[in-house]
Amino acid sequence: MESLEALVAHIQGLSGSPEEVAHLHSLLKQADGDSLRAHASALVPFLAHLSPGAHSLGYLYLLEACATSGANLGDFGGGDFLVTMADFLTACSSDQIRLAPDKFLNVCRVLKDQVMQLNRPIRGIAPLRVAVRKIQASPEQLTPVHADYLLLCLLAKQYKAGLSVLEDDIFEVDQPKDLFLYCYYGGMIYIGLKKFPKALELLHNAVTAPMSSLNAIAVEAYKKYILVSLIQNGQVPSFPKYTSATAQRNLRNHAQIYVDLCTSYGNGRYSDLEIFIESNAAVFQSDNNLGLVKQVLSSMYKRNIQRLTQTYLTLSLEDIARSVQLETPRDAEMHVLRMIEDGEIHATINQKDGMVSFHEDPEQYKSVEMVEHIDSSIQRLTALSKKLASIDENMTCDPAYLLKVSSTGRDRGRFDYEDFDTVPHKYF
Amino acid sequence: MDLSAVQASLSDKSYSSLAPLCDELLLQAASRGTTTDEWPYAVHLLAHLYLNDLNSARFFWKSLPQEVKGARPELAAIWRIGQCLWNRDYAGVYTAAQGFEWGPDIADFIAAFLESYRQRIFQLLTSAYSTITVADVAHFMGMSEEDSTNYAVQNGWSLDAGTKMLTVKKPKAQTNQKLDASKLQRLTECVFHLEH
Repeated sequence: MESLEALVAHIQGLSGSPEEVAHLHSLLKQADGDSLRAHASALVPFLAHLSPGAHSLGYLYLLEACATSGANLGDFGGGDFLVTMADFLTACSSDQIRLAPDKFLNVCRVLKDQVMQLNRPIRGIAPLRVAVRKIQASPEQLTPVHADYLLLCLLAKQYKAGLSVLEDDIFEVDQPKDLFLYCYYGGMIYIGLKKFPKALELLHNAVTAPMSSLNAIAVEAYKKYILVSLIQNGQVPSFPKYTSATAQRNLRNHAQIYVDLCTSYGNGRYSDLEIFIESNAAVFQSDNNLGLVKQVLSSMYKRNIQRLTQTYLTLSLEDIARSVQLETPRDAEMHVLRMIEDGEIHATINQKDGMVSFHEDPEQYKSVEMVEHIDSSIQRLTALSKKLASIDENMTCDPAYLLKVSSTGRDRGRFDYEDFDTVPHKYF
Repeated sequence: MDLSAVQASLSDKSYSSLAPLCDELLLQAASRGTTTDEWPYAVHLLAHLYLNDLNSARFFWKSLPQEVKGARPELAAIWRIGQCLWNRDYAGVYTAAQGFEWGPDIADFIAAFLESYRQRIFQLLTSAYSTITVADVAHFMGMSEEDSTNYAVQNGWSLDAGTKMLTVKKPKAQTNQKLDASKLQRLTECVFHLEH
């Protein structure tokens, strides 16, 4: 192996054009390995001679060797190794680091582990947020960094920071585990911000994603999915038919108590639900879901008041209090006020007569905002449908898929062109 | 730590930009491992309340270490306002805000917060009630009965002095009807496409 000095000189000399970088990459691959790791502590001073922005690829190899050497990272150099990693993630050139994605992911993982070990998750948020964008080929691609980033946001209670990656629509996934974690943590972020429809969407994706054997993430996601469904819609829909057979067969058994909660909620009696929750509080607590379960309980008042709006045009506060099991008309008034504030019902309170009148939704679908909203929804849907069509086409052209279809078809083994007439001829 | 941007926003009274600004600065400072003893915790928390972003305020408070919470009475006083907002203790918000001797650099911000809160509550009362007692308006607005009656009457509400009951006048909703022709065109094309 060449000396470290020579290697650093190569890195400095060969970080310009793409051809040079490609050549450098092959040199680095030769140098990489245990020998580089064995010198980990000697590498740190050399990092100072390199620029994270200009010499990204070489810097990455050396940095990764340090980070994964297993040595105690706190002892490295005089400075703070975490800051070195953070600076690199912020400054590096995405073209160069994408040549060695595994190394880059290793650095991200070590950074995440380090800040968690130090119990300072907030330190990793800004660097990983940049890292996601650097390693992504497009904003539609899911990377392993996504889940780590969301985890740090949750631990540091920086929920809003998590939105920066959650607002992109994801279409490309490499590892199933990345998707499950992304949906689960993402769901938790939205739950924390009380954006229940978005939380439901993500948790739903975790529950219905293809799986050949049951996994713990899907089970926990399912529990939260039940609770959020109750808070948002007052009921839990049955599995859609594209849900994997594994999930359909097993999930309910692993979340029995949540299924029972659902049944109790369906009866619509506040006091019954309260007793059920109290007697099972320990189980919910051990799942870390007790807070969410309590929100389910308080959503019942809301649900019952909403139900009244479907039957009555006006109702006295006293009657509302009686039918939803609130103690005084004043309590009922405050609940109605709160729901009006949150935009959950349309009503006006008349204190003179002690009456509430319920209204239809005043939205008349003729404002400019509404047209813009409809327009952007249509655009998104057209884009989605195009995407689906192209994925479908790709799949029907996939040799492995065709083999599977033709071997399980009714004429086993026989190759029947008529079955595939949607496939373009160039693939044959 | 460079807090000049925060100071600038405070002195410009561009309060609504403070929360995202503080969030970002805090993340950047944390990634450098800087100590945050100098951090303007009270301003940061109030900035979330000013935007009525109670979730962020709550998580921000929860993420603070105990010694920070304990050593800063101003911060704790702002959190008491936050608790009232969270529990929808409408009158408690005013009591909490007026029951503390605020430092000179934050007093204006508190006043601005109270003003915007009062406007928001008045909006809420306007949309939620058709008639309401003077006592309740005073309660919700954190004013004396006389002041709140004046405030309401100025906004077009009418007072029945005998029953001390105010009748709410709802403003006509102004909707912008002007439409970009290209949007309409696209919508038409879409519907046409679906029908044929």
